[in-house]
Amino acid sequence: MSAQDGVSRLQDPAEPEAQESFLTEDGCYVALTHAPLNVQSIMDRVRSPQAGAIVLFAGTTRDSFADKSVSKLVYSAYVPRALRTMLDIATEIRAKHNLKSIAMIHRLGEVPVGEESIMIAVSAPHRGPAWRAGEEALEACKAKVEVWKWEEFAEEGGGGGAWRANRDGAVGERVA
Amino acid sequence: MTPKPPAGHFNILYFASAGSYTSKNVEAFPAPLPLRKLFAMLEERYNGIRKSVLDHSLVTINLNYVDVPADNAEAGPDEVMIQEGDEVAIIPPVSSG
Repeated sequence: MSAQDGVSRLQDPAEPEAQESFLTEDGCYVALTHAPLNVQSIMDRVRSPQAGAIVLFAGTTRDSFADKSVSKLVYSAYVPRALRTMLDIATEIRAKHNLKSIAMIHRLGEVPVGEESIMIAVSAPHRGPAWRAGEEALEACKAKVEVWKWEEFAEEGGGGGAWRANRDGAVGERVA
Repeated sequence: MTPKPPAGHFNILYFASAGSYTSKNVEAFPAPLPLRKLFAMLEERYNGIRKSVLDHSLVTINLNYVDVPADNAEAGPDEVMIQEGDEVAIIPPVSSG
């Protein structure tokens, strides 16, 4: 088992924001990127002649939290720690469900409302394990991966913003 | 990338609400420091951070999660010390996805 890691440059090499940081190992690929997510490329990462199913989950950014209107979302991460956590999750889920491959990618920086912030793709010989693995992988990511979402509210008087916490589903610490 | 701490220091990375509270992403402190003194040291500099942020957060040293002992824990030969050059991070509840 040899883990590879690295930074691949997408689009403009002079633009550090376009970097994608990734870890990969034995049928697992995990990445963090500032670029928009691409459905085709994550599906192609798990595509296999031995697979009878690919399940893809795409999480998109919503324009509301509880009754508040959200105007802007910005994700930040502890990149090396988050990649390790994502790889741990991918490795565990792949083994548990006998997946062919699993790929998970999370977008960082500002993500316009309605665009994808996370994508998970899994391939397996049969659809049952693929469905289950996809859901489990997402729930594990939301519980553990060291990424944080800042939501800015569109309200009268500026609105302010808040760090969201997945754990309790509550709005995080309010910052004026 | 995070700058290296100066000689004789370690870095603390502040994520999410920890960054908002301190208005910083990273800060260097003198090393070594017993881990059990970390929260008291931060509370002294950032009044109220303990209740607002630290009590709900996890801590890593060089990317590994550690248990922060209570303030009144006994100093002993086995206690974890934060060393020169270490990267400590305050990890508030995550909100990926």
